[in-house]
Amino acid sequence: MSIMEYNGGSVVAMVGKDCVAIASDLRLGNQALGISSNFQKIFPITDRIYLGLPGLATDVTTLRERFRFRVNMYTIKEEREIEPETFAHLVSSTLYEHRFGPYFVEPVMAGLSKTPSGGVKPFIAATDLIGCLNFAKDFVVAGTASSKLYGVAEGLWEPDLEAEDLFETISQTLLNAVDRDAYSGWGCIVHVITKDKVVTRTLKGRMD
Amino acid sequence: MSSSSIYSPPGFDFSNQLRNNFMLQKGLPLPKATSTGTTIVGCLFKDGIVLGADTRATEGPIVADKNCEKIHYITESIRCCGAGTAADTEFTTALISSNMEMHALQTGRKPRVVTAMTMLKQMLFRYQGQVGAALVLGGVDATGAHLFTIHPHGSTDKLPYVTMGSGSLAAMAVFESGWKPNMEREDALNLVKLAIAAGIFNDLGSGSNIDACIITANNTEMLRNVEMPNVRVQKERDYKFRRGTTAWKKEDVRKLIVEEQTLLIGGDEMDTS
Amino acid sequence: MNSFANRFSTNTTQLHSPEEDNFSDATWGSQAGFGNIAMGVPTFSIPDVADPTSFLQLHTDDHADPNCRIKIQHGTTTLAFRFQGGVIVAVDSRATAGSYVASGTVKKVIEINPYLLGTMAGGAADCQYWETYLGMHCRLHELRNRERISVSAASKYLSNLVYSYKGMGLSMGTMICGWDKTGPAVFYVDSDGTRLKGDLFSVGSGSTFAYGVLDQGYRWDLTDAEAQELGRRSIYAAGHRDAFSGNSCNLYHVKEDGWHFIGNYDISKLHYDGPGDVPGAPEGGYGYDIRVEGLSSANPPEAAASA
Repeated sequence: MSIMEYNGGSVVAMVGKDCVAIASDLRLGNQALGISSNFQKIFPITDRIYLGLPGLATDVTTLRERFRFRVNMYTIKEEREIEPETFAHLVSSTLYEHRFGPYFVEPVMAGLSKTPSGGVKPFIAATDLIGCLNFAKDFVVAGTASSKLYGVAEGLWEPDLEAEDLFETISQTLLNAVDRDAYSGWGCIVHVITKDKVVTRTLKGRMD
Repeated sequence: MSSSSIYSPPGFDFSNQLRNNFMLQKGLPLPKATSTGTTIVGCLFKDGIVLGADTRATEGPIVADKNCEKIHYITESIRCCGAGTAADTEFTTALISSNMEMHALQTGRKPRVVTAMTMLKQMLFRYQGQVGAALVLGGVDATGAHLFTIHPHGSTDKLPYVTMGSGSLAAMAVFESGWKPNMEREDALNLVKLAIAAGIFNDLGSGSNIDACIITANNTEMLRNVEMPNVRVQKERDYKFRRGTTAWKKEDVRKLIVEEQTLLIGGDEMDTS
Repeated sequence: MNSFANRFSTNTTQLHSPEEDNFSDATWGSQAGFGNIAMGVPTFSIPDVADPTSFLQLHTDDHADPNCRIKIQHGTTTLAFRFQGGVIVAVDSRATAGSYVASGTVKKVIEINPYLLGTMAGGAADCQYWETYLGMHCRLHELRNRERISVSAASKYLSNLVYSYKGMGLSMGTMICGWDKTGPAVFYVDSDGTRLKGDLFSVGSGSTFAYGVLDQGYRWDLTDAEAQELGRRSIYAAGHRDAFSGNSCNLYHVKEDGWHFIGNYDISKLHYDGPGDVPGAPEGGYGYDIRVEGLSSANPPEAAASA
């Protein structure tokens, strides 16, 4: 049993056409025992950036506050919202500071960055627990069901999905992957970020 | 150095060590960090240096990133390939790159490859191999073209052709049979491609595409994905779900401000003179 | 030729016991791989080392060695209880390998014969093999004594059997349930050699959750419908809370005329919608959040939420 499996939980993020989606399960466990079916693992950073933190729950809570602090400091100093790319490096550096005593989380980020022409560009990234960034063009996964998520996402994802189609794809990917993982599940939540709105849906998932 | 109290001091933070060691003693193993079970190479040719790398990053048996960048920027004419713990290669090269820039500004000269090599080896030696970076450093400076390997414990080699990472044996076999002194640019690039390909196809830790970088006295050419021998074929069929497939319990729509417009509502404008 | 080969093999002990040769190949087929019954308990080849018990323990028990080669599946919830109307046997159907849910459709009730049921927890292979083997002996008992074996005798046969292999890595926690001359009976038998007679048992990683519901709702004079509902509800509770139990519930009822399969119920369906049109079942889902929807302060009614 690894530390990552102590509380369980998984996150996945996917790129679509001018949109991104990020989804997680809602389980908080104490090893085999399920404690809560309403544990938040995805946090809004700005209007257009969401951060998923699967891993050890104590570190999830600590880091969420730490990132809130650092993003607030950035916003005050720079007098502008942080861009997803910048935020990804902030996450990466924060984790690497703890290279020799890491936080047990594998962050997943999803957001829309602004292009000079006024449009938006989808952005997703993930890091390992010591902050090695992975900028993927398709999807990123993390958590106890990551190996299962890789398999399902590799099969289901396709480029240029519209927001509504992306919702179906990411939902089915997560739902089916967590059903094969003992430590993830107990309901799911999905955020689909588009240019003008963020749609958040709580899914009806298996409760065992 | 004075620093604002809200910022932590620079360098590593060991505050979680006590807790983590406790968990380790309880028999919970540390999770795996992303590593680059890599093939990285470099070789000298007539006018400079060619560096090469594959693009696979792994997490245990899983391919975490199919197209990552392993040739890191140090200065305009010095580049560094990294193998080992991915976060360590990424951050050590970034730190040394930053220090090299500072050094260049302070001295007013183009910094040398040995300088980068010394900075890297001193840092890695200080961390006694705990920073798991295995590097191939190459570049051209006022004293000519130089190629080094730097091991995680801080030892270095200076050789005309080098390989590192889990695919180093496969790649070295290619160099040993194909490398000649004073090669032409094209021949050197081809040899590097061949060496990386040997790693990609014969070493399970390496894979995907080939990155290369050609550094000469007055030009650096970064060839990202020069060769893509593992392009995914079109999927036989797709699995697009009909909209409404997924049952959901609750929906919340958050409208975002797309364009902001400031309208003055009546009255006089504020006197800002 | 065989003796020649034996001379050069590292294992010089007799590989071929002479009495085994007295049986024809036909004996093999008729016994379905269970060896020879005439010889009593089947004999297994045991590792040729000084202390086979500790050797096997190192390789088969992941409590002693987490890196052992043979992983035994531990996650399960099974229960059985005795009441006025017979015996209720209910189990989940999940099989896990580490955190991976290897199967969601495992049959954890072993139908030994029309009057005897065995449950499966621990090593699936151990349970299946020995309980099938037990079934053979129950039949032989019937042929020899012209009457059905008692549940007590059958369970004792099994417990004596596994006791002879104690410490060699067998892993089973089973309940032998049935109806005999004495009425309904439930016996708990495990690979340590424990054998307990009782009214109510639950075995597996989810047993604590099942006991919680079971103890709260158990009475001797439960009606058939109430008892079936209690079994179903208990397995649901375990499937919901325990990560290593779930997927579906298999429900059996043993009556005087033997066992009856009542049904297979999806745990998630039980959570959201309940078991459907089944006698004894309440309206709606078993799930806590379903039952309190719009009632609790954590999930307030629409009107209150907007106010």
